[in-house]
Amino acid sequence: MASDRDRPREVTGHWFAPASSRKHEAKLTVSDSLFLLVRDLSGVELTRATIGEVAVSDRVGSIPRRITFPDGCVFETNDNDAVDRALSGHRRSAAGLVHRLERFHPRLIFVVALVAVAGFSLYRFALPILVEVAVVVTPDVVPVLMSKAAMKSLDQTIFEESTLETGKRDEISSGFAEIAEFSERGTGGYELLFRGGGIIGPNAFALPDGTVVLTDELVELAADDIDMILGVLAHEIGHVHHDHSLRRLYRAAGVTGLILLIGGDIGAGAEDLLIQGSALLTLSYSRSHESEADRYSVELMKRAGRDPAAIARFFQLLVDKFGDQGDLDILSTHPATAARIAEAQRYARELTGQ
Amino acid sequence: MDERVVAPGEEGDKPSRTMLREQFTFTGKAGEYFGIWIVNVLLTIVTLGIYSAWAKVRRKRYFYGNTWLAGSSFEYHARPVAILIGRIIVLALLVAYNLSVQFLPIVGALLGVAFLFAIPWFVVRGLRFNARVTSYRNIRFDFTGGYWGAFLAYVLGGVLAYSTMGILAPIASQWMWNYTLGNLRYGDRPISCDPRLEKLYGQWLAPFVTVVGGLAAMALIAGIAGFLIFSGIVDLSDRFDFGDNPPVYLFVIGLYGAFIPFFLLFAVAGLIYHAGVRNVVFNETVIDSRHLLSSTLSRRRYTWIAVTNFLATIFSLGLARPWAAVRMARYMAACTALHSTGSLDRYFGEVNAVGSATGSEFMDVEGFDFGF
Repeated sequence: MASDRDRPREVTGHWFAPASSRKHEAKLTVSDSLFLLVRDLSGVELTRATIGEVAVSDRVGSIPRRITFPDGCVFETNDNDAVDRALSGHRRSAAGLVHRLERFHPRLIFVVALVAVAGFSLYRFALPILVEVAVVVTPDVVPVLMSKAAMKSLDQTIFEESTLETGKRDEISSGFAEIAEFSERGTGGYELLFRGGGIIGPNAFALPDGTVVLTDELVELAADDIDMILGVLAHEIGHVHHDHSLRRLYRAAGVTGLILLIGGDIGAGAEDLLIQGSALLTLSYSRSHESEADRYSVELMKRAGRDPAAIARFFQLLVDKFGDQGDLDILSTHPATAARIAEAQRYARELTGQ
Repeated sequence: MDERVVAPGEEGDKPSRTMLREQFTFTGKAGEYFGIWIVNVLLTIVTLGIYSAWAKVRRKRYFYGNTWLAGSSFEYHARPVAILIGRIIVLALLVAYNLSVQFLPIVGALLGVAFLFAIPWFVVRGLRFNARVTSYRNIRFDFTGGYWGAFLAYVLGGVLAYSTMGILAPIASQWMWNYTLGNLRYGDRPISCDPRLEKLYGQWLAPFVTVVGGLAAMALIAGIAGFLIFSGIVDLSDRFDFGDNPPVYLFVIGLYGAFIPFFLLFAVAGLIYHAGVRNVVFNETVIDSRHLLSSTLSRRRYTWIAVTNFLATIFSLGLARPWAAVRMARYMAACTALHSTGSLDRYFGEVNAVGSATGSEFMDVEGFDFGF
């Protein structure tokens, strides 16, 4: 510190009068009590101020530093080090800290490693927590509005009225009420709707408010196997129970938002690529939702005293009818694969203790 | 390249004796920027995006501060908090819009229309903000464009360019640059920009031929492949055994495989067009009726730098981005110059700041560059 005081605290640079673009060569002197004085080369005073009155721009790389005086005039210099020396003892601001961190130095390797770790933890841990928080604070009216709107537009575009005979319908409805009673939300938490599937064919899906839609084509496909239909419906109840649609929505929004925020630093091309990539990752995310719903189906069917492996039998039926890689797999989010069948059967055996 | 410059006295009312060429230079270094960049990325991630406003200011200050003209550099003065507020507003609007599209499609559609009319407002705010936080030799820029000019340049122009598959894109470019650069002011001095339509169409031809030629080549390749497969000359079924693999991935890969060539073709054509338009626009830009801006980008070199920059960024997992950004900035500066009549230093003795431009960025928010 002593050597600092001995050194003349003088900085050479340029001075601009307020609102003027005329450049004057000038010298800045800083006294021990941090009083700033700007003089031109012949020693004529141009301006003066105390350290508290001036604004010193943060140091970024080696770009010119600007000191703005209270009357609006500016002292500018390329000599960043001299400014830091002259003002040492004052201003240990966060910006100065950031600059010291930014300097090209082997230590940056650790910063790179930290970025990798932080990026991974953000995606793997922080994002799921944020999604959970968002799901918890979402008012109940949101999934209701969302479902009503979705059902309305589906009815207008895809679905036809169900042509199922009343007897069959009642049989499925009472079976549905029976298994729903064993779910956490109870019978009142769910409503079963019958529709003609139109282009989506044999299908079943759930809306986040607990509305479950079953197409006539799926009922036909399952023929007289009521347990099989109920196994599929239990799978849909699983989606509702785990709030899967809200989770997917929030997750996509969170990932996209973060990519947008970092976009300026990575360039437009890389930003587009990341957004596309994250959409691909969402696919594997919805697959994990499917297996979660499969397990839920097995558990719920077991609780209701029905065949826990019914969902596996349904997938087997799909494979037999449409093959392992039919169009159905692409259009629906329920890919019927040997692995899923095996897992559902294994879990059913585990629960029944066989 | 620029013949106008050697024809003295051409710009009429200010007869010039000598034309001085002042070259823009960029003095940033990849190593130095790497540190700034990686810390920006780290702090942005750690603060869940909040630091991105501070990161933007540091990035902009680095690039502006390293861009030199006639012995002085540019400076970026935005306050991070102003940028943060702008971003929060835009983010909230986007969330509200996306939620309403999900939940209440009719309200969402109405909001979409409302957004269309709000875009010019955001454009004006954003351009004004950016102009007012930029200074050169202690004088701030200003932007004086109004709402309907922005509506024409950014909404109608965009509709025109997209609805005609790019055929009328030069008209949109003319509107946009005439509005964006022509309404810019340096202190109390006006800037004019009147790119001529026939010159813009001259730059439009090469990217147009690129797209048409590329599409024809792709159609030919697809036709030959289809012929070989369907006529049974090439049998793929025994070469690819998908087994148990979920076919959903195959579908997605196929989809992307088909889109990537299209995407690349249009991206390259866009780069060629952009470089050409920048040359035309800058060469028709006059500052205070006496300083001529000039741009001499080589379309091929510009496209090459942009494409290799992108590839380097991707294959280095982003780490080459600082090098790429510095490389591009250096090339752009090297191809930009100002032709001035008489001494710039004397000229700058007369330019004055305009009261409204200084400090009034506090009233403006920025956020437009983000999310639209």
